[in-house]
Amino acid sequence: MTAAHFWITLLKAVLVALALLTTFAYMTLVERRLLARMQIRRGPNRVGPLGLLQPLADAIKSVFKEDVLATNRDRVVFFLAPLISITTALTVFGAIPAGRPGGFFGANPWVFNLDIGVIFILAFTSLGVYGIFLAGWASGSKYSLLGGLRSSAQVISYELGQGLSILGLLILVGSANLRSIVHWQYHHGWLIAFQLIGFACFLISSFAETNRTPFDLPEAEQELVAGYLTEYSSLKWALFQMSEYVNMITASALISTLFLGGYRGPAFLDAVVPGISGWPYLWLLLKIALFLFLFIWVRATFPRLRYDQLMRFGWKVLFPVALLNALLTAAFVGLLPGLSPWILGLVSLLILIALLALGDRLLAGNRKLARGSAGD
Amino acid sequence: MILFLILALLSLVGGVLTIAASNAIHAVLGLVGTLISLAMLYVTLDAHFLAAVQVIVYAGAVMVLFLFVVMLLNAARPVSSRDPIPYVRELAVIFGVLLAGSLLLVLNGYAPPRSLANAASDLAGGAPGPVGAVLLSKFLLPFEAVSLLLLVAVIGSVALVLRPQVQEDPAPEPAAQPGRGETA
Repeated sequence: MTAAHFWITLLKAVLVALALLTTFAYMTLVERRLLARMQIRRGPNRVGPLGLLQPLADAIKSVFKEDVLATNRDRVVFFLAPLISITTALTVFGAIPAGRPGGFFGANPWVFNLDIGVIFILAFTSLGVYGIFLAGWASGSKYSLLGGLRSSAQVISYELGQGLSILGLLILVGSANLRSIVHWQYHHGWLIAFQLIGFACFLISSFAETNRTPFDLPEAEQELVAGYLTEYSSLKWALFQMSEYVNMITASALISTLFLGGYRGPAFLDAVVPGISGWPYLWLLLKIALFLFLFIWVRATFPRLRYDQLMRFGWKVLFPVALLNALLTAAFVGLLPGLSPWILGLVSLLILIALLALGDRLLAGNRKLARGSAGD
Repeated sequence: MILFLILALLSLVGGVLTIAASNAIHAVLGLVGTLISLAMLYVTLDAHFLAAVQVIVYAGAVMVLFLFVVMLLNAARPVSSRDPIPYVRELAVIFGVLLAGSLLLVLNGYAPPRSLANAASDLAGGAPGPVGAVLLSKFLLPFEAVSLLLLVAVIGSVALVLRPQVQEDPAPEPAAQPGRGETA
C-alpha cells in the first residue's frame, strides 16, 4: 500500500463518517417532522426556517448538558460502552460501494472492498451489541441491566435469521463481495424479485438488529425507564443515539445493495436516458432514503411487541422461514440448473403469500387459545 | 511486521487481563479483546473468511453468552475465598509447562504440506468458496461429526430446560373453554 493510497483511504473514511453524522443529525429532524405529520401534529418548526436548524440546537444542548455519572457505575466500561457502539456503527458503512470503480474523483467510492463484504458487515454489526450490553451492566442499575439483557438476547436471536436469510442470495450470486452482488443484479435483475422470502426475513431482522419499533424493547419506557440508556446523559447519550441512527442508515444501505440493485439504477431506464443507471450516488441515496422512510413509517404505525412474542417470532417463524428459503434456493439451483430465476421468484411469492395467509389463521387460532386460558 | 507485533501484544494483554482481572466482566472483555486481535491476525495472514467467522462466532455469540451468564448469575463480584480445588496452582504450572513444551515440539517439527505459493493461489485470499469446498470434500467426515456433536448438544440443552408438562388443574376455571386449557 503506497502512502498516497493510505491518505486517500483515510480521507474517504473521514468523509463517510462526517456524512453519516450529518445524515444522523438531519434524520432526527426528518423523523420528528414525519412522525408529527403522521400523527396530525406540526413537529419542531421554530429553530430556523422549517425547523432546519433544530439539529444544531440539539447538538449544542447535548454538548453543554451536565454529564450525570451514576455512583454505582463501572468506571472504565461505562465510558467504553458508547465508544464501542459508535465505532462499530461507523466502521460498517465503509464496506458499502457507492458507485463504479473510480467514480469518486478518480478514486474508488468505497472505503474498503472485501471479498467477504456481506460476512464482514454481519460480523461487525454483531459486535455492536456489546455497546448496548455493557452500557446496561456498567450503569449499575437494574433497569439498565434488564434493558441490556433483553437487547442482547434479541440481537443474538435475530442475527441467526438475518444470516440465514441471505444464504439463498449468496447461492444465487456465488459471491459475498458486495460489488459482485450489485453487478449480478445489473445483469439478471434485482434480487428482491428472486429472493422475496429472504428479503422479507432480512428486512424484519434488520428492524430487530437496529432496535427500532416494533422491536425497541431495550428502551421500553413503560417497563424499563429507558433501558440501557437510563443512566446516560449528555454526550454519551448522544453517542448512543448516533449509533442507533447510523446503524439504521447502514441497514438501509445494505438492504438496497443486497436486494435492490445497490448503486446501479434499474437497467431498463437506460433505454430512456442512456447511462442513467450508472449515475453515481444518486441511486444508492434514493434507496437509502426509501428505507429510512420505511423505518419511520413503521415506527408511527406498529405497536411494540411483547418480549415473549418477540422471542417466539424470532425462533419459531423467522428462523424456519429463512431456512426454508435457503433450502428452496439450494434445491432450485442444484436440481433445476439452467432454469430462469424468475420461476424461483414466482414460487417464493406464492410461498410468501401462503405464509402470510396461514400466519393470519394461526394468529387468530392463538388468540382464541389465549382467551380460552386467560387465567393461566 | 509492526502490525503483527502490535496485534500480538494486544492479544497477550487481553489474555493476561482475562486471568488477572478480579472482576469477571473485565475478564470476559479481556478475552473478547484477545479474540478480536486474533481475528485481525488472521486478516494479516489473508484468511479473511476465517477472521469473519472468528468474530461472528466467538466475539459475537459465544462471548455475549458468557457475559449473559456472568451477569445473570451475579458472578461479577471478585472472588476472595480460597481455591476450591486443592493444589490447583501447582497443577496449572505443570500442565502449562507441558502445553508449552508440546507447542514447541509442534513448532519445531512443522513443515508445510505443500509450497506456500501454491496454497495461497488456491485459497484466493481466504474467500469463503475454497474454504467451503475443502470442508465439504476432504474434511467431510470431521465436518459432519462436528455438526452431529452440535446437534446432540442442542437437543440435550432443549431436553434439560424443557419444563415438565403442566398437569391439568383438577378444578377447571369457570371461564376456561373445555379441552383448550392444557395446550396453553
